[in-house]
Amino acid sequence: MQTATRLMTSLRARVLASAILAGLLSACGVSNVVIEGNYPTPNINKLPLSIAVYYDDALRNFAYIEYSETGKEEYNIESGLSHMDLFDAILPAMFEQVVRIESMDQASRMSVDAVFAPAIEEFQLALPAKTKLDVFEVWIKYNMRLLSAEGDYIADWVVTSYGKTPQETFQSVEASINEAAVVALRDLASSFSLSFTQVPEVRDWLNTL
Amino acid sequence: MNADNVITNKLILAGLTLLAGLLGACTSTTVDEFRQGETGITSEESVVILGRRQASDYETDSDFVSCVGDHITRGQDGIDVIPEQEFIDAMFPWFEPRTAPLRTRDLERLMAEDVVASKINDFGIRYIIWVDGFTETTDRAGSISCTIGPGGGGCFGFGSWEDDANFDARIWDVGSLSSVGTISTDATGQSYLPAIVIPIPLIARVEANACSRLGAQLKNFVNGS
Repeated sequence: MQTATRLMTSLRARVLASAILAGLLSACGVSNVVIEGNYPTPNINKLPLSIAVYYDDALRNFAYIEYSETGKEEYNIESGLSHMDLFDAILPAMFEQVVRIESMDQASRMSVDAVFAPAIEEFQLALPAKTKLDVFEVWIKYNMRLLSAEGDYIADWVVTSYGKTPQETFQSVEASINEAAVVALRDLASSFSLSFTQVPEVRDWLNTL
Repeated sequence: MNADNVITNKLILAGLTLLAGLLGACTSTTVDEFRQGETGITSEESVVILGRRQASDYETDSDFVSCVGDHITRGQDGIDVIPEQEFIDAMFPWFEPRTAPLRTRDLERLMAEDVVASKINDFGIRYIIWVDGFTETTDRAGSISCTIGPGGGGCFGFGSWEDDANFDARIWDVGSLSSVGTISTDATGQSYLPAIVIPIPLIARVEANACSRLGAQLKNFVNGS
C-alpha cells in the first residue's frame, strides 16, 4: 500500500514538473495573435453589379511572423479570417449582388459581371521595443484583382493600408498588435470602397457595361 | 543622537517632502478662445466631438475626447453629445483618419454626398468639434531604488517629471459649413514621486484639468454665452 502511495506521489511530481517545464518552454516560444475586429458597413452608393468574390488559400491562411532581433520567431499574426470578414462586410455595401465562390471554375458557371480576388502582398509590423516610438504600427500592401467570369484580366491595382495604436500601460503587446491591425483593416476598407470607381482600368471597364 | 531623534528627523523629512510635493503637484492651465462666428444650439440639436488622428507622430487620445464630451453634457445647460466611436462607425468610411475632412471646404464636399448628409441630419448634428493635441512628459529627473530582503523591503529616492497638455478644439457649424471658432488649452504641471520606504505619488492632474477647462469653455461657446 505504501509503495502504491509512493508511486502515485512520484507520478504526480513528474506530471507537475512536466507541466512547469512545458509552461516555461511555451513562454519562450512564439506568441500567437489572431486578428479579430468588427467592421462597420460602409455608407456608400451601391454599384449595379453582380460580383463573385474569391479568397484563395494564401489569403484565407495568411499569417505573418515577426522575428526578434536575435532571429527567433516572436509573434505569429494570423489575419486571413479577419480579412475575409472585412471584405464580407464591405462588398455587399459596394455592389448590388455579391456571391462567394470556392474556385475560379465556379465563376464561369454563374452569371456575374466580374470576379474580385484580393491578395495580400506584404505585411509589416513595427513594435515600440524596436522603433523606440510609443506606437504599434501595421502596414499592409494588397494586390486587388478584378477578373471576368471566364478568368480574363479586367483590372489589377495596389492598395496600401496603415494602422497605428498608442502604447498603453496596462495593455498587452498582443492586444495592441490586434488594435493596430484592425485600424489598418478599416483603413483598407475606407480607401478601397471610396477609390474603387477611380481606378483607371475599373473606370474604363465600367464604361463598357 | 538617540533612536527617537533619528525617527523624529525622518518624520520631519517625510512631512516636508510631502508638503513640497503637494504644493508642487499643481497645474497651471491657460485657455484661449478665438471666435469667428455666432453660435447657439437648440435642445433638438447635438454636437459630435472627434479626435484628429492624421499626424504620424501622435494621435489625439480617445479618452480625452470622451472626457471633454462628458463635461459638455453635464449640468443644466448641458448639450447632447454623440459618442465619437458611434458617429465614426455610423459614418463609415467618411470619417476615418485617411478620409476625414481637414477643412470646411472638405466638409462641404462631403455634405454633397446624400448618404453623408442624411446620416448627419438623422443625428441632428449642429456642430462638429475637432480636438487635436496630446500630452507630453518632459524633464524626468531623480531615481528610486527598491530593495527586498528576508526582513522586509522598501524604496528610497525621489523622482519628478513635467507634463504638458496642449489641445486645440476647432468648431465647425454644419448648418453654414464654416468654422465658427477655435479654443486652445495649454496645461502644465510638475509631478513628484518621493519614496521613503513606500513611494508616494503626487501626480499633477494635467490632462484632467485641460479636459475640464476645455469642456467648460466649449459648452459656453456652443451655447453662445
